[in-house]
Amino acid sequence: MKRKGGISKVRAVEGMKVENRQGMGAAGNPLSPTMIEADGLTKVYGSIRAVDQVSFQIRRGEVFGLLGPNGAGKTTTIKMLTALSVPDGGHSRIDGLDVVLYPREIKLRIGVVPQENNLDRELTAWENLLIYGWLHRVEGLREKIEEMLRAVELWERKDSLVGEFSAGMQRRLLLARALLPQPQVLFLDEPSIGLDPQIRRQMWDMIRKTKIEGRTVVLTTHYIEEADALCDRVGILSRGRLIALDTPKNLKALVGGYVVEFIDSQGKMTQRLCRSPEEAHALARTIENGVTIRKTNLEDVFIQYTGERIE
Amino acid sequence: MRWGWIPIFVREMMLFRRRLLRLGYIFSTMVGPIIYLVAFGWGLGGKVRIGSTDYLSFLLPGLIAMSSMNNSYTWVASSLNLNRIYFKTFQILIQAPISSSSIMVGEVLAGMAKGLFASALLILLGLLTAGEFSPGGGFMLILLLNCFLFASLGVITGMRTKSHEDTATYSNFFIMPMAFFSGTFFPVDEIPAYFKWIIYLLPLTHTNIAIRKDHFDGEGWISLLVLGGYGIAFFIYGSRLIRKYSE
Repeated sequence: MKRKGGISKVRAVEGMKVENRQGMGAAGNPLSPTMIEADGLTKVYGSIRAVDQVSFQIRRGEVFGLLGPNGAGKTTTIKMLTALSVPDGGHSRIDGLDVVLYPREIKLRIGVVPQENNLDRELTAWENLLIYGWLHRVEGLREKIEEMLRAVELWERKDSLVGEFSAGMQRRLLLARALLPQPQVLFLDEPSIGLDPQIRRQMWDMIRKTKIEGRTVVLTTHYIEEADALCDRVGILSRGRLIALDTPKNLKALVGGYVVEFIDSQGKMTQRLCRSPEEAHALARTIENGVTIRKTNLEDVFIQYTGERIE
Repeated sequence: MRWGWIPIFVREMMLFRRRLLRLGYIFSTMVGPIIYLVAFGWGLGGKVRIGSTDYLSFLLPGLIAMSSMNNSYTWVASSLNLNRIYFKTFQILIQAPISSSSIMVGEVLAGMAKGLFASALLILLGLLTAGEFSPGGGFMLILLLNCFLFASLGVITGMRTKSHEDTATYSNFFIMPMAFFSGTFFPVDEIPAYFKWIIYLLPLTHTNIAIRKDHFDGEGWISLLVLGGYGIAFFIYGSRLIRKYSE
């Protein structure tokens, strides 16, 4: 693929060692603790700023979550980071390489599980992985396919057409496909959307396993419990803007730590954030009935920042 | 580029093979040309002669050119459009570490294979039914070029259309008129002069001129060059559309 000229290349990898690797262009910077860097990423569709000046850094081996409601800009951010969409402003780097200037090198480093199933429904599970592995130059492909299909418990169904698979099986196959080339970074866009609770837990276990294997994982979700259960750090997106970024624990502590929920005199569900259990209990004692005290979750953080609910 | 087109071509062939095994696929591919062949060829064949050849022998190369155009173009345009907009499988190609020209080559070769498959069935039918029909090396070269050209055009349509309905619109405005006015059923000499220049702009006209030449004369070479020019232009533009692809 044709790339832009020398000056831009120098800008793309400023301060980093660049060397040629088997004619593949630039190599990354494995010594840097930062695996992914987004700097002012912006995407505009007509009059809508789907992603607006989003900046963050993701460390190597981290599970990073982008949390927000539908239309917050999560998928668009992922598309820009995975070379599927060219940003209208800002830039991003993976392993020190500019995503726009070095798309082929980036694609050798990443695996993507998209929100929408993009498996070939008229091909078998085996054929889907065969073509994908071939496109990604996976060595020892047949053995790797068997290994991945066994890992996601689909080996027995390897010769079945994907169109005959349930939603859960298709998600597992998408994960197997993304992991087949053993990427350094795994992107998961709403990995458990549409899955029943049991399959969702199974998916979470698989994602945790990829972290244990040392991969950097970036996932988007609008499920609060998913971000809480999986992510080391969470960025909260609302209307294309990154409004908060920290560990789930710190984010929750930031808004209080405890929530008192009750029905007010107009019959409306009301929430009050409290700093300590003592404060929450003292508040609860002043309310006559229907009081619940619980710990804050990431949705409370979202409500606190935006005044809206995530789901 | 080197190897990247191979998995794309193989994937298309896997999908094609699966469709081929479905009852009725070959019939649906062949039904149009066979109806034309029966209605025009056998219906008029006995009464009409074009120059020194009988009508069936004149019609067959035209039907083969038309069928190769339809199959090369429609398959690529339609599947690219669907894979891009509905099934999202085009994302797999864009997110693979291969060049845009690899994607272009893979898609075009797959389109050519489908066009050649339909052509082969008609050639076989022609050899069995039309006495004077004997395709040679020049015929095969033009057929290949025609498939290449229209598969490349299919990529352009597949990449530019915004919905599946758009694909039908392109087909109705460009492909179908070409099938009827570019010398498939009658020589373009019969067309009035004020309309003829448009006809000569259409690539299928030049396919129909060149594919019927036993020996390439000046007209044949010009048509060959026009086809080559269209093919290269479509291929370059299609590759550019893939390279510039962004969601």
